[in-house]
Amino acid sequence: MAVLLRTLWSNRTARAGVIIVGLFLLAISVGGALMPYSATDMDFLNLLTPPAWTHPFGTDSFGRDVLTRVLLGGRVSLAISVTGVSLAAIIGIPAGLAAAWYGNPIDQLLMRCADLLFAFPSFVLALFLMVVLGFGVTNVILAIALVYVPIFARLARNLALTVREEAYVQAARLMGQSTARILGREILPNIMAPIMVQASISIAFGVIIEAGLSFLGLGVQPPTPSLGVIMADGREYFNQGPWVLTLAGLFISFGLLGLNLLGDGLRDLTDPKLREKTTS
Amino acid sequence: MVWVRYVGGRLLALVLTVLVGSVVVFLVMKAAPGDPAVAALGESARPELVAAFRAKHNLDVPWALQYGRWLSGIARGDFGLSLTVASDRPIAGLIAARLPNTIFIGVMALLIAVILSLIAGTIAALRRGKLADTIATSLAAFGISMPDFWLSYVLILVFALGLGLFPAYGFIAPAQSFTGALYSGFLPALAVSAPLAAVFARTLRTSLLEAGNKDYVVAARSFGFHPAYVFVHWIFRNALIPYITIIGLQIRYILGGVVVIERIFGISGVGSLMVDGAFARDYPVVQACAVVFLVIVLSVNLVVDVVCSLLDPKRAR
Repeated sequence: MAVLLRTLWSNRTARAGVIIVGLFLLAISVGGALMPYSATDMDFLNLLTPPAWTHPFGTDSFGRDVLTRVLLGGRVSLAISVTGVSLAAIIGIPAGLAAAWYGNPIDQLLMRCADLLFAFPSFVLALFLMVVLGFGVTNVILAIALVYVPIFARLARNLALTVREEAYVQAARLMGQSTARILGREILPNIMAPIMVQASISIAFGVIIEAGLSFLGLGVQPPTPSLGVIMADGREYFNQGPWVLTLAGLFISFGLLGLNLLGDGLRDLTDPKLREKTTS
Repeated sequence: MVWVRYVGGRLLALVLTVLVGSVVVFLVMKAAPGDPAVAALGESARPELVAAFRAKHNLDVPWALQYGRWLSGIARGDFGLSLTVASDRPIAGLIAARLPNTIFIGVMALLIAVILSLIAGTIAALRRGKLADTIATSLAAFGISMPDFWLSYVLILVFALGLGLFPAYGFIAPAQSFTGALYSGFLPALAVSAPLAAVFARTLRTSLLEAGNKDYVVAARSFGFHPAYVFVHWIFRNALIPYITIIGLQIRYILGGVVVIERIFGISGVGSLMVDGAFARDYPVVQACAVVFLVIVLSVNLVVDVVCSLLDPKRAR
């Protein structure tokens, strides 16, 4: 962990990403507790007050402190996205490894399924699933997972194909190790870096999918304060209090910027071809 | 000849994918909970009304036959009748009325993204490591991090409510007035295009830098060709292939973005129709929209692949 952080620190982009993601995580984990309000406290004397020292993000139509809600909502949205992307990784990576290891016909079958899922706009796919399953937190997680399963499967397959014939894999094979062991202990650790890059970018987009679905009213349902729910709420009185929607969105963008920079930095570090370029 | 076989093969693959996709869409929609007849008519509807409804909407026969009728309907341009969104109106008509709006916004967003990214990506690659590069790459990082629906509201706040330059809501169909459509579609298209422009610009920058390091470029330079000629003829042309490929891949995101943006700006398009259908549990409408989106994405990808095969003939083999 310390080694990883030190390596990340050596790259300017990754360093910016680590700092922003760190601040974001700190804000959503302890920020809520430091705020003098709770996410449900209503103050009917201060309805829709613009941002000020007492309420840095202003208050909403119930007089609730928007910053407190956004901090809590960030936690909800990030948890949803991380769960969805993890689920996609848990299903997609083994599928991709199996496709690469066993070759046809498993490869053909799995990759054609991935192609099919790929052919739908991701948001349309998520929307479609929400109609079938109904709205709510669990189904948003499933929708995010469905969007990312083919991406992880294809990435893991393509990466595994490149290391499949490496000497250490052949050696493990000759030593008579089980397929599961070779895939898990030899191949997976060697293809993990690009998968981590994909994961950090996917988590960022997962937050956007959650926010988008909830924003339309098709995702997380109030009173659970996800970032999308808060923004949907802010849309109702956008003309009187534009700060609710804009500042909540700004908070999302801040977190996503960190995740994207982290992903970019990781990619620079793990791709030696690009590393030469950034240093030269 | 090779090329004709390549395009033919891709066309066949497209038709097969649409067929399989339509089966999946159909089966998944059938798995959705709730009886559409009850959803449309209410719990206390008279049995004979329910039976008539089921007969009219092709729900009274086995699934395989339902699918067969649905598919043969699509082949004839008939998507069935809407259940709740626009009761009993043919879905094909609803889509035909909305599709031009969706395509207009999508193409406009794509054009804005291409123009912005060509400028930003080229400048960043030419002035690599300089201030202009840092500004362009930072802007790209910001662009990718902004949810498009949030950006729409920021644009509305600044350009519509603040400066009063553009309308905050509503869209003039291109069939009515093309300039009106350009004007009222500008903010929505811009909101969709910002993250795209960022992705395109980053790809263009990387591929320009990669192409610039190739041996043939070094050779061309050492022959004493003018740098601008080398750039256009060898570097830019070769960088175009990854750039166009990325544009093809991002069609999914354009359409996904359009779905949300249409709702925000009150544009009557296929995306907003699908969302309306989702709220009203109008299964045939959602089903039809999903198939339409599938066909659009696959067709655009086909066109992109064909263009790339023309730029790089090795691909067709």
